[in-house]
Amino acid sequence: LGCGTGKYLSVNSQVYNLGCDYCEGLVEIARKKGDEVLVCDNLNLPFRDQCFNAVISIGVIHHFSTKQRRIKAIKEMARILTPGGQIMIYVWAMEQKNRRFEKQDVFVPWNKALCSRHFSDQSGDKGEFVHTAKGQDIHPAQLVLSECSYQNNLQPETDSKHSRHMEHCIPRACCMKISEEENRFYSALGRSFRSWFFSRSLDESALRKQSDKMKHLKHEGVWANSTVPIQHSRHCSLDLGHHGALLNEQSLDDDDDVFVESLSLKKPQWSPATDALKDLSLNGEHQSVGQSKGDKASFINGPVEDRDHICGCNKDGAGKPDASKFFKRTSTTDSTDSALDSAVSVGDQTDAVLDTRAFMRYYHVFREGELCSLVEENVPELQILSSCYDHGNWCIIAERRG
Amino acid sequence: MKLLTHNLLSSHVPGLRPGGGFPLRIEAAEVRVRPVPFNAAFVSRLVPRLRWEALREAAESLGRPSELPPEPLPDYEADEEFLRRLHHVLLEVEVLEGSLQCPDSGRRFPISRGVPNMLLSEDQ
Repeated sequence: LGCGTGKYLSVNSQVYNLGCDYCEGLVEIARKKGDEVLVCDNLNLPFRDQCFNAVISIGVIHHFSTKQRRIKAIKEMARILTPGGQIMIYVWAMEQKNRRFEKQDVFVPWNKALCSRHFSDQSGDKGEFVHTAKGQDIHPAQLVLSECSYQNNLQPETDSKHSRHMEHCIPRACCMKISEEENRFYSALGRSFRSWFFSRSLDESALRKQSDKMKHLKHEGVWANSTVPIQHSRHCSLDLGHHGALLNEQSLDDDDDVFVESLSLKKPQWSPATDALKDLSLNGEHQSVGQSKGDKASFINGPVEDRDHICGCNKDGAGKPDASKFFKRTSTTDSTDSALDSAVSVGDQTDAVLDTRAFMRYYHVFREGELCSLVEENVPELQILSSCYDHGNWCIIAERRG
Repeated sequence: MKLLTHNLLSSHVPGLRPGGGFPLRIEAAEVRVRPVPFNAAFVSRLVPRLRWEALREAAESLGRPSELPPEPLPDYEADEEFLRRLHHVLLEVEVLEGSLQCPDSGRRFPISRGVPNMLLSEDQ
């Protein structure tokens, strides 16, 4: 559920894989890859009872904006499991590596750079857009619930698909399109703003490490061979999305741990680096937004659920020696790090922030134990088998009773 | 959409009687057949999970004479010919365009480019 572009649909060829997502656009990308997929609502699954042996929900339910919706999603997934069938759920943790989100309910900017080019190409579209509301009259659930990242590998003919997609999506505000006006405003407002939100101008080696890991993840067989980890993972500061669990077998970067241990992470220590970086990254961002769109696609590797992280700034790390000086001590690249820095608490918005909300994604990040309690108290049909913290996520595996 | 998927799908329009949403009636405008590697053990394990009558009806509705018996044959695990026919129906036939109709409510769900869209509108 929440398969996005089908990141996990090919990991196990021994089973019949069926991917579902709320967003038609993403599902179509998965389909092109040859996956069996459909569009549906996690809160109202179009399946008969007890017909699946296994369900995975990776980085999905943290997008539901109320506790009741999150419970409903889990109950629906439990309903379609056979007795003895198992479910694995991953959600973002409030407690990140050495840091925490300030609040549990946050908006995290979505990488508009991926989306804006496509959307602005749609200026011909007949004004199908949803205004971001000032104030709270849009229920957070109606904001972006799933990420529709139209990546560069889209063919031109998908433009028409996109409009179809918008027709389906807009009533539910699956992906928000902003008006021409807002687009211009955002662009004007936004070079520096964007860099604040999106730039994680990172030192070269951290970026390369990240991209190396991403490439490594393409290995098939990693999933098939590894058992699901029960133990606490090493708190590697590289958040590799939810493949993190699989990498327990591999050696994680010792470098990162060494750096992190010597680092005392008081906020003040971060801000000078960030400020300096803002300046550096401004330039970097201009370049990278113009040139590296193709790079972005390969970086992000197609999938969707959760990563707003590396936004492609300075991807090649070309000539930013100063950045590395600041980053020597923080060479870790937590994918939720940028989220942490740029997250806006629900209810905290200023006007300036509101206007950028067109591309914000809602997260309810989970505290330790919260996911377990949620299931134990509300979904008696599931029995939790194991739970762990994994690369910035809380995860559980549960079995359908009966 | 493969027929194995179809066998799992049920309408979830609110207010249906229990079981009233299954099976969805296929209206196929475009069907494709594509070979899929045969795995006898896999197909065999599927048999108890299937709603057999719904599968037969689905195969019929796609305009292909049903090659499936009214019930799974006894000792089907060892019957390779049976398993191959079942494999073909379940995995090699795909509906690319058309719709799925809820038997009780009549509500239609479109299938386009091989992808069924099972979303209900806001008021449902």
